[in-house]
Amino acid sequence: MKNVIERILNLLAFLLTSRLPVTAEEIRNTVAGYEGQSDAAFHRMFERDKELLRRIGIPLDVRAPDVWSLEKGYAISPAEYRMPDPGLTDEERAALWLAAQVVRIGEGGSGFEALLKLGGVSLAASVEPFGANLGANVDTLAEIFKGITERRLTSFRYRGEDRRVAPHGIGHARGHWYLVGIEDGGSKVFRVDRMEEISLGEKPAAFKRTPGISIRSALDTQPWEIGDDESQTALVRFDESVAWWALRNLGRAEEPGEGPIEVEISVSNPAAFVGWVLGFGPKAEILAPPDLRAALVRKVKESL
Amino acid sequence: MSRTATRITRILAMLPWVIANPGATVEEVCKRFGYTKHRLLEDLDVVFVSGLPGYGPGDLMVAYVEDDTVVVDMADYFANSPRLNPSEGLALLAAAITVSESGQGDAVLESAISKLQGVLFPEGEEVLALRVKGESDTLGILRSAAKEGRVVEITYSNLSSEKTTVRSVEPWVVFASKGNWYLNGFCRLAQQERLFRVDRIREIRLLDQGFPPRQEQSIPEVSYVPSPDDIYADIELGPNAEWVLDYYPVEILEKDEERTLIRFFSPDPMVSARLLLRLGSDARLVNGEAVSSTLKKLTEEILDRYERTSA
Repeated sequence: MKNVIERILNLLAFLLTSRLPVTAEEIRNTVAGYEGQSDAAFHRMFERDKELLRRIGIPLDVRAPDVWSLEKGYAISPAEYRMPDPGLTDEERAALWLAAQVVRIGEGGSGFEALLKLGGVSLAASVEPFGANLGANVDTLAEIFKGITERRLTSFRYRGEDRRVAPHGIGHARGHWYLVGIEDGGSKVFRVDRMEEISLGEKPAAFKRTPGISIRSALDTQPWEIGDDESQTALVRFDESVAWWALRNLGRAEEPGEGPIEVEISVSNPAAFVGWVLGFGPKAEILAPPDLRAALVRKVKESL
Repeated sequence: MSRTATRITRILAMLPWVIANPGATVEEVCKRFGYTKHRLLEDLDVVFVSGLPGYGPGDLMVAYVEDDTVVVDMADYFANSPRLNPSEGLALLAAAITVSESGQGDAVLESAISKLQGVLFPEGEEVLALRVKGESDTLGILRSAAKEGRVVEITYSNLSSEKTTVRSVEPWVVFASKGNWYLNGFCRLAQQERLFRVDRIREIRLLDQGFPPRQEQSIPEVSYVPSPDDIYADIELGPNAEWVLDYYPVEILEKDEERTLIRFFSPDPMVSARLLLRLGSDARLVNGEAVSSTLKKLTEEILDRYERTSA
């Protein structure tokens, strides 16, 4: 391992100080650690090293050194290599470290490497009886995230259809990750665990971000607010025993008093809305409009 | 990350810090980058023999320990830390925002989040949002009670039976999974370990009673394990009801193009009855005595209510 580390440090030092892209052959003949290898062994070694750099997050560019060259060269731009200093204090790093300890994404790492890159942190061990797992495949999310930050068009299969989206943001709500993007001029929300064969476009900065897209409000949308129907206002009565639960479900902070409550709710997906109200059994009732009342009664009769 | 990648990352992060903080002691560097002294010396030795082509005394980096101080020189190309890769940036920011959104952060964390967002999204665009719904006051009380070993009294409304009880609980761990917050602990009413959903806690009060806090507490998995007392229902799902497979731990009995036959377990027939009600004509109960009668009663009660008020 010592040799690998020495060779990678030499490779990085060389690429960071070369003003022009350098070919694999030049690297082979110049950088200490690659000498005395057969063609095949060098090739394997170099591929592994490039992969290692990629995993660490070091941007390795591949381009021709000048317009006359046919052979591609490798380059690391010092400006792209380094991270702008966020100027974190030790206390702020410690707070981030603690957050990374209590919140994980699926089988994702501990955040150790990230904190190192941010300037290290005193790793005080503490028992924290608090945690969250935002279960998902962190590599898939990272790929999508990369598409967002580098503004690359993102293609994937979704419920059997090919989609191509300008990704604007991702978010986690109700136990799932969602991608918010623009497709055919409209804002759309996709569930990440239903996206298959994700691939990012070759070209960075391939689209302009549409202003005013809020990931937050896309996530806060209730299922019955996402629909193609004209929005209508429903009036629902909840009995005293479930009133608090209805208000919590609706994300309304008020505490119910005694007795039943009547709440106005905006609905553009009647089926989802009826399903939600049915979850309260006989303790909730749609008072208006009549067609939503009728839709609920129809639904109940279906299950008889 | 592989061990090699982690080790290289640590070297590439440690060098800039030492360069920016001349006179840093071995102890400081070890503490900040999680090194043992032995490991630090090992890495400095590797740095010492690496550098630029020529690889002579003027080309190699300088790195050693003198008088307990770490010395690094001739390594200007490593004067900056490498950037976060996408998964590191995402995971760290997501963790910080989750803690903050659940009301468990403080001003220091908020400031860290905005600085981190500033370097990840320099144009100030909103790219990442997290919603882990939860009553932040309740979460805060539970978190400190679990940490300090204090008993809490909760007014809890069971999701399936809708029964509301007041019980004393020794809180062990508070955690979020699949979009909800849970409390796992010893319930003094039930005299056994119990899992509670935090959003079903209507009221909470810290009691003046302690218990020895758990030293080691792993986050339990929230997946429903059917108990021998559970009742089951066999349900036929149409294509529009296939989402049930994603949401509930069910046993798939048969599956073809048109329909899926599942066995749905629950401690209370009401859970299955409500699901069937919601699915309407997209599902059909094939087998399940208790569920069938509960569903019948439930539909009658609802239809009664609507008939009464329509008249």
